[in-house]
Amino acid sequence: MANTRALVKRRKAIRNIRKITRTMELIATARFKKAMDRAIEADAYTRRLAELAGDLTSSAATIKHPLLEKRAEIKNSVLLVMCSNRGLCGGYNASILREAAPHLRKMQTEGVNVHLELSGKRAMAYFRFQGIAATHAYSHFEDKPSFEEVDVVASRYLADYIAGKIDRVDVAYMKFTNVAKQVPMVETLLPLSTHVPESRRKTVSAAAENKGSVEYEFLPSAAEILEEILPVSFKIRLFKCFLDSAVSEQIARRVAMKAATENAGDMIKDLSLKYNRARQAQITKEISEIIGGTAALK
Amino acid sequence: MDLQKLKCVVVTPEKAVLDEAADFVAVPMFDGELGVAPGRLPIIGRLGSGELRVTQGATIKRLFIDGGFVQIRGNVVTLLTPKAVFAGDINVSTAQTVLRSSKPETTPEAQEARNKSEQRARAQIRIAAKSK
Repeated sequence: MANTRALVKRRKAIRNIRKITRTMELIATARFKKAMDRAIEADAYTRRLAELAGDLTSSAATIKHPLLEKRAEIKNSVLLVMCSNRGLCGGYNASILREAAPHLRKMQTEGVNVHLELSGKRAMAYFRFQGIAATHAYSHFEDKPSFEEVDVVASRYLADYIAGKIDRVDVAYMKFTNVAKQVPMVETLLPLSTHVPESRRKTVSAAAENKGSVEYEFLPSAAEILEEILPVSFKIRLFKCFLDSAVSEQIARRVAMKAATENAGDMIKDLSLKYNRARQAQITKEISEIIGGTAALK
Repeated sequence: MDLQKLKCVVVTPEKAVLDEAADFVAVPMFDGELGVAPGRLPIIGRLGSGELRVTQGATIKRLFIDGGFVQIRGNVVTLLTPKAVFAGDINVSTAQTVLRSSKPETTPEAQEARNKSEQRARAQIRIAAKSK
């Protein structure tokens, strides 16, 4: 029979672990709410920007912009992988890396010179283990990425892209669709496919129909404003990726910690049962020994 | 729609900074200031870095705006900007260090960037001084 003392010790250890995982779950829930609020605030900006772009395109002629043109030959590209800085969030990092690694291999076999850029210590650790060097690595994007920080990275991409140093920018991250569903994916941010994301399109056109078209005055000209909007919309899309991954990380951590807490509870129940049985067995053994002893004395 | 009142909305990518009624709004455009009174015709324009004044009755709210776009439509003034700071929250000392540390540049691009940052810093100091 198992040692009762060892069982008590294990049960105690698991109780402590459960305390920690439960606290982490609560913290992740609080952080998730904050991150979610930020994402919603950012959404207001993207929506209004899309509205503005929609109004512009309806009154301006089609424009040509280097950011919109797809280049015939892709020689250099950037792959930005967004992971978390911390672990204990279930399959969050693994699922992103599972998307990113094949993409990287595929690009390399096609003869593209891929500049790997990483965000988050987990991604750095993974690619260091794989022996793949990264050109840039960031670990300062925590659960509250600020626009200014993202702006620095985005501006560098834009400058490199326009200068022709890179022909394509991809981002591997966890896309947030709703609280129950997040999808790991690789998205191409440059060249900009459309300056309005597909999902926003409908709402914009619907809004335009409701209001009817309005004759705008433009300062300076519509085409010039549209040219200015394109870089901004790229920046906001990159920012949105960072926000999405922050929200998704907290959700993943909450789910993982919830499961861990539940498992710890089950384990404690199981160990308690084993402990009680062992104790009972020990008592029975002692009694039978005493009875045996008295019987021998008679 | 009420013709007597404007609605001023300021949003940055991080949050909605301002959303309230106003009698008069002065918007910093790329080439100067644009005053907006109720009933203005629709306009879309580019912003420069400067001061946004929102007048409501006797109170004037001052904000530092750093570029972006403005859209005016049906008495709603919407400003989309990467950065908006209330005059009271402007950090004057960082703006002053920017001014002090700025040096002449050799290339035209660097020169332009320097001019922009100087302009930005000057605007911040000016607005902060006014609000005192």
